[in-house]
Formats: sequence, C-alpha cells, structure tokens
Amino acid sequence: MFRIIAGSLKTGRVTEAHPLSRRPAFGFPVIDFTRCTACDECASACPTGAIRAASGAPGQRTVSLSYGACIQCRECVTACPEQVVSAGREFEIAAHTREQLTHSASFDVDDAGRATFVRMDVQPGPGVAESASRLRDRIQGRLGRSLHVRQVDAGSCNGCELEIAATTNPVFDLERFGIHFVASPRHADLLLVTGPVTRNMEIALRRTYEAAPEPRVVVAVGACGCSGGLFGEGTYASVGGVDRVVEVDVYIPGCPPRPHAILNGLLVAMGIREARQNPSGPTRHTDPLLSGDARPEALSFFLRPPVKATGEI
Amino acid sequence: MSSVRATVCANLGLADETVQDVRPGEVEVEPGPGELVALAERVVKNLDGRLASLFATDERASTGTFALHHVWSLPGLKTFLRVRTTVDPARPQFPSIAGRHPAANWFEREVMDFFGLDPLHHPNPKPVALHDDWPEGQWALRKDFPDGGAVPREPGDRHPFRPVTGEGVFQIPVGPVHAGIIEPGHFRFGVAGEPVLYLQLRLFYVHKGTEKRFERLPWRHGLFLAESISGDTAVGHSLAYAHALERLSGVVVPARARALRVVLLELERIYNHVADIGAIATDVAFVVPASRAQTMRERLVRLQESLFGMRLLRGTVALGGVKTDVSPQGAQRLRSHLTEMEVEFDDLITLLIDSGTFTDRVDATGILSPQAARDLGVVGVAARASAIDADFRRDHPTDAYEGLRFEVPVEKGGDVRARLMVRAREVEQSFSILHQVLEALPDGALVAPLPERLPPSSSALGWAEGWRGPCLHWIATDAQGGLSRVKVTDPSFLNWPGLAHAVPGNIVPDFPVINKSFNLSYSGNDR
Repeated sequence: MFRIIAGSLKTGRVTEAHPLSRRPAFGFPVIDFTRCTACDECASACPTGAIRAASGAPGQRTVSLSYGACIQCRECVTACPEQVVSAGREFEIAAHTREQLTHSASFDVDDAGRATFVRMDVQPGPGVAESASRLRDRIQGRLGRSLHVRQVDAGSCNGCELEIAATTNPVFDLERFGIHFVASPRHADLLLVTGPVTRNMEIALRRTYEAAPEPRVVVAVGACGCSGGLFGEGTYASVGGVDRVVEVDVYIPGCPPRPHAILNGLLVAMGIREARQNPSGPTRHTDPLLSGDARPEALSFFLRPPVKATGEI
Repeated sequence: MSSVRATVCANLGLADETVQDVRPGEVEVEPGPGELVALAERVVKNLDGRLASLFATDERASTGTFALHHVWSLPGLKTFLRVRTTVDPARPQFPSIAGRHPAANWFEREVMDFFGLDPLHHPNPKPVALHDDWPEGQWALRKDFPDGGAVPREPGDRHPFRPVTGEGVFQIPVGPVHAGIIEPGHFRFGVAGEPVLYLQLRLFYVHKGTEKRFERLPWRHGLFLAESISGDTAVGHSLAYAHALERLSGVVVPARARALRVVLLELERIYNHVADIGAIATDVAFVVPASRAQTMRERLVRLQESLFGMRLLRGTVALGGVKTDVSPQGAQRLRSHLTEMEVEFDDLITLLIDSGTFTDRVDATGILSPQAARDLGVVGVAARASAIDADFRRDHPTDAYEGLRFEVPVEKGGDVRARLMVRAREVEQSFSILHQVLEALPDGALVAPLPERLPPSSSALGWAEGWRGPCLHWIATDAQGGLSRVKVTDPSFLNWPGLAHAVPGNIVPDFPVINKSFNLSYSGNDR
C-alpha cells in the first residue's frame, strides 16, 4: 500500500494541460485548388473516393475533396504531379453536415485540355453558423457543462473505439470537461456512433437511438461513420454512414480521429466550440479557441496548470 | 524434390507428383473429396498439423466448380499445407472434418453461409455468420451474388438459443450494444444463480462484407482495407496482406524494410498488451495499475505518432516495404523510451502479482484446458497460455524474424493469470527484439518496386503473428490479375469458441475479466 501511494506521488499529474490545438505531423490533406490542374491522379490514388474529379458540361471540370471519407493515408499527397496536395497539420475538424466537410472547385478546360481554376463551389445546405444555431435551439442549453455520452459501435473496425476510449485515459481525462460515458442510452444526452452501420447493427442502432431521451444529439465518428469509408455505402453488409439510419448533428472525420479531434467534436456538439470543417481554407475563423496556441478562454474553466511537469508525453 | 515435399508425401501416404511446391513455405495437394477426412486425420497425427484456415472459392467461371481449401500450419516443417478439393455445383456439399477437428466448426459453417455449400455430417450445421433475418438462397461470396444494395429482411426467429430449464435457472442476454466503449456482439448466458452453466455467442454484428469488398478494390488499395479489418491489428493484417501480395508477385522486400516491419509489429504488440494488462486490472477494480498501464500506452502511441505519423500505426506498411523511415535520432529516442518503459512495466507487473486481492481474482479463473485449446484450434496468446507452444514468428518466420533471438513464452495454467503472464513475458521479449533490431538497422531502400500487374490466375498465402495471434491472408487473382478472392483469417475467429469454453463454471461477475484476458476482436471475427 505504501509503495502504491509513494509511486502515485512520484508520478504526479500526467493529465495534459492543453488538450486541444496540437499539431501532429499530419492531419488532413489540403488541395491548393488555385494551382491544381484538375488531372485525376489524386482521385485515382484515393482508396475511398474522398477525392473525385468529374467532367461536367463540355469545357468544365470539378475536383472535390471530402474529409468525411478521408482516411488520411496521404496517397494523394504522393500522387499529385503538381505538388499542390499537401498534408495539412490540423486535424481537429468537425462539421454539422456531410456537405460542410466537402470542398470542391470548378475548372475551365481549354481545347488543349489544360484546366484553369475558376472558383470554389458553394456547398449545398446550411453553413456552419446556421447549423450550430439550429442545434443550439434544439438543445436549448440543456446540456450545460455536463454531457452524458453513450458510445455505439454500429460496425466499426474498433479503431475509433480505441481512440474514444483513449479520451478517458489519465492523459486526456475527458471527465474534467464534464463529459461522462454512460452504460445505457437511457442515461445519455448524446450518442457517439461509429460506423459503417452494418446490416446487422442497423436495427440495434435505431433502437438505441429511440431509447435515448430527447433532446438527443448524434455524433458520427470516423471516416466510416461519416460516409461508409472504405466499406462503402449500400453493399449487402454495409448500410453506410450513420446518417443513413439516424439524423446526425456533428461529424468527426478521421481514420481513426485522434482523441483530440473527438474531444473537439464533442465540444462542438455541446455548443462550446465552433465547428471547423476546413484546415486552411479561404475563410479564417474568429473563434478564439481556434487561434493558434492561445489559451482557449472558453475552456479555462476546466483547465488548471499542472501540479508538476512530467516531461513531454 | 524439396525435402519438405518429401516429408509431407511420406507422412501423408501420398504419391510424389500429387504434392506441389507452390513457393517457399507453402505446399499444395489436391485430393478428391472422398479423401479429405482421412487426409486431415493424417495431417494432424503424423505432421502435428494445426488448422490455420478453411474457406471456399467460387471458380465456376473458370473451372466450372467451387473449391474448398484447408490450410494447415506444419510448424515442424516451417511450411503451410493447402489442401484443395473441388465441389461440384450440381451437388453443393463437402465432407465435414469438424466432428474430428472442432477447429473447423465455424469455418465450415461460414462456408455454408456465404457459399451455400453444405458440410456433410457436420455436428451442428447452423448458420454462424448469417443473422435470422437473412433470406434463404442468398450467398454473398458467390460470384453471381448481386451486391447492389440492401438485402431484404426476412422476419422470424429461426435459430433460437438453447433453452435452460429448472428452478432458479435462467438466461442473461447481453448485447449487441454493450455497456462499455467496445464492439458489439451478443452473449447469452445460461446461469444457475451466479455460476454460468453455458455461454452462447452470436456474433457477426459488425460483418462489413470485407472479403467481398476486396474483390471490388484495386489490389493496391486492398492494403488500406486490410488495415481496417481490426483497428488494433493494423500492422498485423496489413503485413499479412502485403506478404501475400509480395509472395504472389515475387517481390523481395529490402533488408531495412524487413527490419522496420519487425519494429512496427512489436510496437503494436507492446501497446496492445500493455492496454490489455491495464484492462484486466480495471475489470477487477484495481485502479492504480490500470491508470498506469493506460498512461504507459498513451505515451507509447504518442511516440508512435511522432515517429510514424499515426498513433495506431496505420499507413506504415507499404506493399513491398514500409512507408516511413526511422532516423538514427528516432531510433535512439525509441530505444531510450523503451529502456524507461521496461522499468515502469516491470513495476506494473510486480504491483499486480504482489497483490493478493488481484491474484485472488485471476488465479484459476476462466480456465481453458490445454486439451480444449488444442481441439478447438485456439491460437496466439490464448493458446500459449494453455500450454500450446506455437508462434508464427518462430514457426513460419517472415521479415527479419529469422535472425532474431527471442523466446516464445508458454504458460500452463490456461486461466486469466496465465494469459496475463504470457502478455507480460511477451512484452519483455518484444523489448529485447526491438533493441536487437534498432541496434543494427540495416541500410538501404524502404520499398521494393512493385509490378504493374499481379500474375494472373495464381494465389499465395501471407501471414504475420499479430499481437493477438496469427493473421493469415490468402489471395487469389483472376485471369486479368485482379483480386478474385481474399480470405482473411483473424485469430479471434479461432479463439471465440475458446472463450465460450472457458466461461462455464465461473460466476457471472468474472465474465468481464475472462473476456478481457482473451480480448478478442469482433471486427476481425465478423469482417
């Protein structure tokens, strides 16, 4: 017993002070559409169809990249002959609709087959701010600073579960944000669902959803949960993304999303953070939480300086 | 004639020309369906063969028949034996070996579910993969199955669980949605008060049609699907897939890549074993070691992220090599991290086994007897904890394993503690393997060039001893060199029946810790 206590004192606090805005070696790919020649090298290298190049009307071409289906394999980065696809370093991406996770550009193609960038396309559906206000209206502040989460694996490979479980480890310690994982959907404010939803889990997911009390928030996690990912949509075994079965409020892409990205997505669902669906797109966010390494003011309630520095983890 | 082939022929009583040397470490024999049962008997008795996989292929387009394949591991010969038999589509049946070799039980039922080929004289020919609402007469892995969307649901409860009757005897249904952050599956306990009388499993809730999906993907993209077979075994499965493709196309992986693959596979072993040891502590409510193990794992996966880009080591294995190099500084960082971790890990294990309240919960809990483990064909950690001395790293070495010094830890108890101790001792071996490899990383290329196309109409096995046990892939190509069949065998598929065997006789509250000590993959099993 003495050894246990002494050991714990020696270890000190391992919980990370700043769990957000980390910059790993790479997050999601970023296409510099203005320099893109709309060839389809990246699209054919992409194993999930996250990048698509399509010819529309004669003389026109579109290239689109959807983070919802991206498994962060970086094949597009190596495939691009023009080196306009780069591995972005940000990964705390979340959105309210699948469309918000898609970025596409239109190109004009001349007679010689050369494509020139015309404009970024506007995605259909509501923007981030509008979706966020709709979600706020629906939950009416009832989630406050306490969120009870029921995790549902509706078909995942277990990668997302490992990262969701990692958010509860002593280093992340999700509970300090008032977020608890509960054992029953009846205790849950939010369902954290991984996919692809399989044929054999479709009914179980629907029943779990129905068992959760209103207002219930659904968060889809991972490339497969957002879009069916590698397993596709509408096969004999895979229904596809979570939104094929129940309405989804927040999408957290990634394969698997890092624990930080999951935490970020949950904070978006609680209305504490603003959704950020584009790592370095043309629009700059004004959200203080998103500005570089500044201390996240809205989170300072939860964050205390560590008792003892235990070195970089 | 190779000596391996001669030994196989002599022990199986086969004529020379019937056994083919397919490629190093892989021989093939093609008996008639009538000889299948007797041959299986001889493989086990004379060659100590262990069933590694059993599957079917739909070759009606090329040869006009289905084919059934038994894959046996022959550890003494460092060889796999593939036994191929044709099955006439007009009489879609094959002789079952499950009565004598229970390891074949689920495999044969899976062939029945996905190919519509019936195992004759199977002791329990019920669906294993198909759920009750799957319609009759639809076989997903047949080539003419129209995989074009949702298959209609058929109402009815056609495969009821075995009932329990008697005073104070009842059933406890658990799942598919479990209480923790884990994968879905259904457990049906028959209990008399606290003690479990028996446990029935209904799995395949996360069946994603992975094997069918491979057939639709370009072979280069198959690697990513392999990484997603079981999220905790990204390296194990992607290596098995890569090995199969490399063997198929004769690609020789450069020495540096072979060494780095060992690094990746051992890191995956360590981070999973450490997490499991912590989870076993969690399930007996011993919080301090649980937190320490979780912290240790988190630190390691963060180091993995900074060295290889991804926490869970996805996107690290390439076809023909590895994707990420390790710099001398990186190797040094990894080594000093491991040196520190060794001390911490040693403390963790001491803390656990010195605690009477802990050992009280894990000793003689969830015993899987060596005999049962052998009969059921249990593999990996669970097998080694039940006195079965098998490890593909030693018995079928790949990559740089041939030249490494390591032991295969074997425990005799077959209980939770034995599985815990196998993990603990394996982690120690992995530390030593990693030091050996990182000390002398060979120079050279990271990837070998790949051919434009795969050889048409051929097949190959690929394998890796993942942290949970052997991952085995069999890949076949069609006349155009595309993937015509990828059979994935995850160790969990062989081990789930072992869990069902280890639980009866224990009390319900011990189930979580027994389950955790096996820590089987649902996704790997269901695919």
